Amino acid sequence: MTDLDADNAALSAQIWDVIVIGTGIGGGTIGRALAEGGQRVLFLEKGPRGHRAEAQGLNDAIFVPQARSVRGYWPDPLHARLNGRHSAFYAPLGSGVGGSSVFYAATLERPERHDLDHSPDRPHPTGGWPVGFDAMLPWYARAAQMYQLSGSADPLSAEPEMPLRAPPPLSSTDAALKSAFESSGLHPYNLHAAIAHLPGCASCLGRKCPRACKMDGRSAGVDPALATGRATLLDRCEVTRLLGTDRNVIGVEAQKNGKTLTFRARRYVLAGGALGSPRLLLASASTAWPQGAGNGTGLVGRNLMFHMNEMLAVWPPRGTPVSGPSKALSLRDLYHRDGQRFGTVQAMGIDAAYGEIVFYLNNMLERSALRSWRFLRPLTRVPAAIAAQLFGQAKIFVGLLEDLPYPGNRVVHDPADPGKLAIDYTFQPELLTRRRAFRRAIRAAFRGNRMTFLGLTPELNFGHPCGTLRFGSDPTTSVLTPDCRSHEIDNLYVVDASFMPTSMGVNPSLTIAANALRVADSLLKEAAI
Amino acid sequence: MNRLTPKDGIAIVTGAGSGLGRALAIELTSQGFGVVGFGRRSAALEETHAAAGALFHARPLDISDAGAVTQTITEIDADLGPVALLINNAAIYPHRDFLDETPDSFMDSVAINLGGMVNCTHAALHAMVARGRGRIVNVATFADIAPLPTSSAYAVSKGAARVLTRALVADLGDRFPGIVIGDWMPGMLRTGMGIPDGLDPATSARWGVELALRLDPDLNGAVFEQAHEVLAPRGLKGRIKDLVLMRKPAKPRHLG
Repeated sequence: MTDLDADNAALSAQIWDVIVIGTGIGGGTIGRALAEGGQRVLFLEKGPRGHRAEAQGLNDAIFVPQARSVRGYWPDPLHARLNGRHSAFYAPLGSGVGGSSVFYAATLERPERHDLDHSPDRPHPTGGWPVGFDAMLPWYARAAQMYQLSGSADPLSAEPEMPLRAPPPLSSTDAALKSAFESSGLHPYNLHAAIAHLPGCASCLGRKCPRACKMDGRSAGVDPALATGRATLLDRCEVTRLLGTDRNVIGVEAQKNGKTLTFRARRYVLAGGALGSPRLLLASASTAWPQGAGNGTGLVGRNLMFHMNEMLAVWPPRGTPVSGPSKALSLRDLYHRDGQRFGTVQAMGIDAAYGEIVFYLNNMLERSALRSWRFLRPLTRVPAAIAAQLFGQAKIFVGLLEDLPYPGNRVVHDPADPGKLAIDYTFQPELLTRRRAFRRAIRAAFRGNRMTFLGLTPELNFGHPCGTLRFGSDPTTSVLTPDCRSHEIDNLYVVDASFMPTSMGVNPSLTIAANALRVADSLLKEAAI
Repeated sequence: MNRLTPKDGIAIVTGAGSGLGRALAIELTSQGFGVVGFGRRSAALEETHAAAGALFHARPLDISDAGAVTQTITEIDADLGPVALLINNAAIYPHRDFLDETPDSFMDSVAINLGGMVNCTHAALHAMVARGRGRIVNVATFADIAPLPTSSAYAVSKGAARVLTRALVADLGDRFPGIVIGDWMPGMLRTGMGIPDGLDPATSARWGVELALRLDPDLNGAVFEQAHEVLAPRGLKGRIKDLVLMRKPAKPRHLG
């Protein structure tokens, strides 16, 4: 037995207070809160710990699975059946300490009241979340502090303000855009970003931050959890199965260095992401759980949602001095309009530069009918070069359109290939109609500004999956209780984006973090009894 | 600033007991860098010490011994500070006909010329990766392109070393933009391994050190010959493709 094997065996032999599977925003946040609350926590992470000084962004040109894994990317392509047609591509998903969040652009925005609550003038598609907006407010505030959010308040909001740090000054381009938007009657504000702005901050949007400056599942979650001395991290350790009897998980089976190991705890928290977590539950089918863990209703993996991205280029007024890419502005004028659920519009954090356009066009090509014509890929450089000239210093904005839950949209599990990440998703007519209305609303709102849409076809944001293990009070229509515990398994909790009954009109990260803090609180209270 | 300074840490020069290695060590100490010189011959390193002054530290060592290299670099890290710069300069050129080699003698050369580079690079990267900052310059040759008679072990190992540079950039370049790795051809020098009417190694060493102190991320994987960048050759077809795809052809850089 090597030293490493002996270490792993020692972790295997103990009974932990809590095992957290996955270390993204959800897992990292709850692990920290539990460790700080005195619990002994074992993090199990499929991907590598990585090196703290790494600065790579996601790169789908890297296709060797081991090379993807070592960089913290999800190693394998996502197999997506979209409207019945199969395609495979690398989704913007991480697999490593911090999960996808180490690559995110750190936009942590609180949703609107109608995202969670039902009201007669803004009816909720599911009748409302089992934990309402007011109940979530203190957890949003705590998450905002933990993730060191900076920004300015949304001038349109009547809700209690978030505890925000002062944002960095706007660049000349952003300041010019902000006043141009205001002249058009819009209400832009400084987007809420989880960046500590340490001296020399390189604002690592879309790439790993080498310091504890960008706040993500690693820097705001796992690292502080490990610093308590009560948490332990085992990386490159893929949980393949939950083991259990009827209403209890009694252990998890994992692969580490080609060996099968079992780990045990009093309670288990699943945080493998809205694609990974349902897949693990389905892969845990046994005589005790014939349809998979916690899946008596057959709802595990269903109601998968993404956001739909509407990308637009907006030019600052002529004569504005050039400044670098930034992700500073956000506006909610179109969030809910004419009785329709749209979503937020925010800066993407990239300029319409040549490289970004090539990348974007190639992605479009990959999901189009021309995708098998590989020789076309270099040709996207021609329109991209023309576009880069044309766009100059245009800023790219994205409108996030809320996606709604449909049982047919789901994570697909293949028992013969349990590691495969696969989904089945159909664009509902309702969504496509709402998208057209959203585009019209954007066009009308930005009238007076030079702008153009960048996409023609509907684009899903594969980095924002959610909803696949929804929480609810009724065990026949939900997988998790309002406390995010399995309705069917008493010591199993889920704290990633799977729990969301609806996808909201904002980025999911702050809601995942706030919910994880809420669940941690109920776990700590329960442990104290 | 994207330039190494003595505050960044120590420099290691392998093969510092003679020729170009000694000249590089002298140039680095003259610019205020602490330099650790590796070499098999203690007496030769002492001569470099005498010429390079107090900033030079001699560490007699066989770089083909991976364990010894790791241990020595760990000690350097503890005693003198983190390794900021590694110049993989050491090489042997036995000038032996292939029929006069034994498989063992051949592989002995590979163990020094390629293995030494692997050993030193692997150990030096430890501190560089921890800080996300560092520079590795591999002293390279064109010997692999058209091997001369009696150069088999040299040409093979030096050619493989150039592949190693590219493979390191493939593994690390995107993840650690602050760690810059590249090849440098010093030219034909007036050294024991070179030619009698070659270039003064001190002249070449000034270019080598200038290149070694530059930390621009876009120097990652760059190849320099003396003071000029050598770009990958591009045929007519490639150039036409560049034209059609509106790609700007790269311009070679100069150390000026």
